[in-house]
Amino acid sequence: MEEILFGIGISALAGALATVAGAAEDTESDIGSQGDPNSQVQLAPQMGYVHRIYNKAISGEPPAYGLWVALAAGIAWALMAIQYNAILALIIGSAVAVFVQGVYATTAYLGRTASLAKFEQPVYIDILKSVTTVTMAHAFVAVFTTVTMCFLIIEALGHPFPLPLMGLVWGIALGAAGSATGNPFYGKERQYQNYPFGAGLPISASGDIVRYAEAGQRSSLDNGWFTSKGAGPASGICFGLIVFFELWRTILFEPFAAGWGAVIAGAVIIIVFMVIDRMVETWARKTYGPYTTAEAVTEEEATA
Amino acid sequence: MSALGGGSAGGEGINPAASVIALVIVLASVGIAYVVYPAALIPLIGVIVGGVLISFGVHFVPVGGAPAAMGQAPGIATGVAMLAAGGGLAGLFGGAWAAEMGIWVALGAGAMGGGLLMAITCLMVNVVYVYAMGIPAASGKVDKDPITGDTYEGYRSQGTEGHGLPFISYVGGVIGGILAGAGGTLIYLELLSVYQEALPSFLGMTPEGMQTLAVSLAGIFAVGMFLVAAVLTAYNITGTIEGPHDPKFKRWPRAVIGSSAACAACGLVAILLVVI
Repeated sequence: MEEILFGIGISALAGALATVAGAAEDTESDIGSQGDPNSQVQLAPQMGYVHRIYNKAISGEPPAYGLWVALAAGIAWALMAIQYNAILALIIGSAVAVFVQGVYATTAYLGRTASLAKFEQPVYIDILKSVTTVTMAHAFVAVFTTVTMCFLIIEALGHPFPLPLMGLVWGIALGAAGSATGNPFYGKERQYQNYPFGAGLPISASGDIVRYAEAGQRSSLDNGWFTSKGAGPASGICFGLIVFFELWRTILFEPFAAGWGAVIAGAVIIIVFMVIDRMVETWARKTYGPYTTAEAVTEEEATA
Repeated sequence: MSALGGGSAGGEGINPAASVIALVIVLASVGIAYVVYPAALIPLIGVIVGGVLISFGVHFVPVGGAPAAMGQAPGIATGVAMLAAGGGLAGLFGGAWAAEMGIWVALGAGAMGGGLLMAITCLMVNVVYVYAMGIPAASGKVDKDPITGDTYEGYRSQGTEGHGLPFISYVGGVIGGILAGAGGTLIYLELLSVYQEALPSFLGMTPEGMQTLAVSLAGIFAVGMFLVAAVLTAYNITGTIEGPHDPKFKRWPRAVIGSSAACAACGLVAILLVVI
């Protein structure tokens, strides 16, 4: 009984760490424009919209975070092998991984922006100085929490994977959850804030991203401020739920039916989430209703 | 003829010559494995089946790529291989944890791990679309959801091909995660069984001493082969797919043939690494 309680406590702690990781990962990628919305940041100057948005599509978020978390985990693992204190090893590993992220971010920004020179897009050195360090700080939070979560899963829950492999697996999952959940909010709600709320972006409007703020030109730091209120927490909840339920169902139900208990619990949890999704979808259809054309709205108003 | 002039659309059909070459690669790999290390025959077939499961499963995953990030197309706003890897590797995590409970329980745990990641991710995608962006789900490929019967005419905003995750895409995502998770776990378990048997005799290590090495090697090869199968499938899909109702779904036999050949070759290398 005590062992199960301990396991559930570790699951909750790992879930909490994953929640922070998801939120930091998404905010980092939104500040740096690393996810799919980067296509618009890259496209905008080609359509004549020169901007001051950071542009560092190093790779898709899952392989990028797979690399950084695995790197942090690998260094921490090596340091622990020579008897370093575990917490110190995790911090040093994460710090080294973040320097690698910073190098990638710098070269990506310079390379991608310089390739737009023929469209008169300048390389802004002040952006490089001010935004790169902010993405590095967010990346540190995401990498450190994920690698700590991996350490807990191995040391406290007894998973057979070595730390670097565990870091690779959960780093890729972190990037997948963060990019899937967070990209639409940054891509549509922030980059195309001047287009109507409650509708997708017309394909013909691609590239016309918002470039001006309340005062002066919009900075990527503003984008981090905006997305940390929506996409960041949503990504955090997403990754936190994934980690928590994955651990919880195994810890609590694996002893039943020779291991099949955890499988059945997984199936039940999936069905519950499926029902919730259907409720969300139905709610949206009932509440928002079908789209109406401008003529239909005018007719309705005239009738009223 | 230039690279720019080449067409990107691969078409729907199966290329007979390429399929025969793939079959030859599979048979040659299996034959070499049998000659070099007969005990590796069944594990190699398991690896090939794992690759087939991953490749078939990836076709179910609704991936919208960059257009989905602007609400211009339905699906999840990330790449095909990225998302499938996330789901499949979460499954691999669960499957590896349950490895000592037997192959069927481990496969079930791996499948549920992948399905769980996709179920939660797909739900959160819809939550963001509906509550943070005020956009209802609408398919761009069909006018009526094959499962719920919901019609999408009128729910697509102007100038887009639909948005969000309709229920059929959600179900597709979960099925894709389940198949990919099971496939990744199967590759891991088969390679682990070869390494646990071969490493002590070939390296002269004790079974306890080589456990970490066997787990690490099997895990990293499973991750690698997972990406091989997922990326090959992403090339077959060419961009975005909505799920099992998408016309592109019919292309799956091609990717399955290609992935089986690729996984056979990679599996052979993974086995030869420890037995030569």
